[in-house]
Amino acid sequence: MHKKIMHIFVIQFRLMKNSQLYKGSLNTIIMKLLEEQGRMYGYEITQKVKEITKGELNITEGALYPALHKLEAEGLLDVEVEKVDNRLRKYYKLTEKGTTETVNRLAELEEFIKNMQTIVNPKLSY
Amino acid sequence: MKLTPEQIDRLYQFTRQHYVEWYDLQTELVDHLANAIEQQWQENPKISFEDALQVEFKKFGIFGFMEVIKEKQIALGKKYKKFVWNELVQFFTIPKIIFTLLLTLLFYYLFHLLFSKDLLSAFHLLIAFIGFIFAFRINSKYQKYKKEKGKVWYLEEMIKNYSFMLFFGYLPFQLGNSLLRLDFNSDGIIGFMVFFTVIFYLCLFIIVFEIPSKAEDYLKETYPEYALENVN
Repeated sequence: MHKKIMHIFVIQFRLMKNSQLYKGSLNTIIMKLLEEQGRMYGYEITQKVKEITKGELNITEGALYPALHKLEAEGLLDVEVEKVDNRLRKYYKLTEKGTTETVNRLAELEEFIKNMQTIVNPKLSY
Repeated sequence: MKLTPEQIDRLYQFTRQHYVEWYDLQTELVDHLANAIEQQWQENPKISFEDALQVEFKKFGIFGFMEVIKEKQIALGKKYKKFVWNELVQFFTIPKIIFTLLLTLLFYYLFHLLFSKDLLSAFHLLIAFIGFIFAFRINSKYQKYKKEKGKVWYLEEMIKNYSFMLFFGYLPFQLGNSLLRLDFNSDGIIGFMVFFTVIFYLCLFIIVFEIPSKAEDYLKETYPEYALENVN
């Protein structure tokens, strides 16, 4: 019983970790990856994030595709389709507008991290 | 180990079973599931295709593909509105502005003529009735088309099944009716009603005639795979 409750706590914690703080940054993560890699398809993005963060951060499928479609609708991403292994594969890449926006968002994120560090660990700021 | 064409077909069927009715979304999800299943086979070659599929589907959460469908609808809806807007702007350029002006005059006289509560109510009911009939007809025609073709694109559905808009065909007359009941019969109110009516019916015209006639171009622009599919 105790073990089961603990297990639920762990799952809850993991979910929180993967949704609360990271949710707002998902678009930025996707755009940063595309900036580095040129073009990627959905599954590749989930795997790449897992690989870079050594499994710490897990982009859920239910969140990734909505984010991609939204970015596409905003004109930040462009799509290409190719036939690979009997099936069609949809690749995403940054548009010109997307590239500019990536720079802005990364700068914003950096600023945010800096401010958070100052708040969480004030002594370091002196 | 790679998936066979039969297994790919099964994945398409699986997405359809989970309420993804549109080929563009199906294709992206099929590729995702296929990659994920192949990855599982690399780690555990013994797992069966169906079991691997279930494992991957669970990762989409309790709502399955619903969230993906919802966001796609919002994204494409934005795109569709942009098409309507671009077409609407055309009506205020030199060649078409005469048509727009004539339409404005027509409605101006129509409203003056109908400026009695009973006539306007009758007109409002008539338009609503015609709208309903056409909406049902368009929708059932589209559903038949969808069933026969089996493979429709989400944007194609938005373009071809415009029945939802016909339900609202009576809105300008409804508005006129409500304003009359408030006893606002100044020229300003009529002017506002005429302006609203003209814009509304221009949008309706665009949705019913202009956009469906350019469906092919819009689909090609939105889906790079559209041209690819129609060659094969």
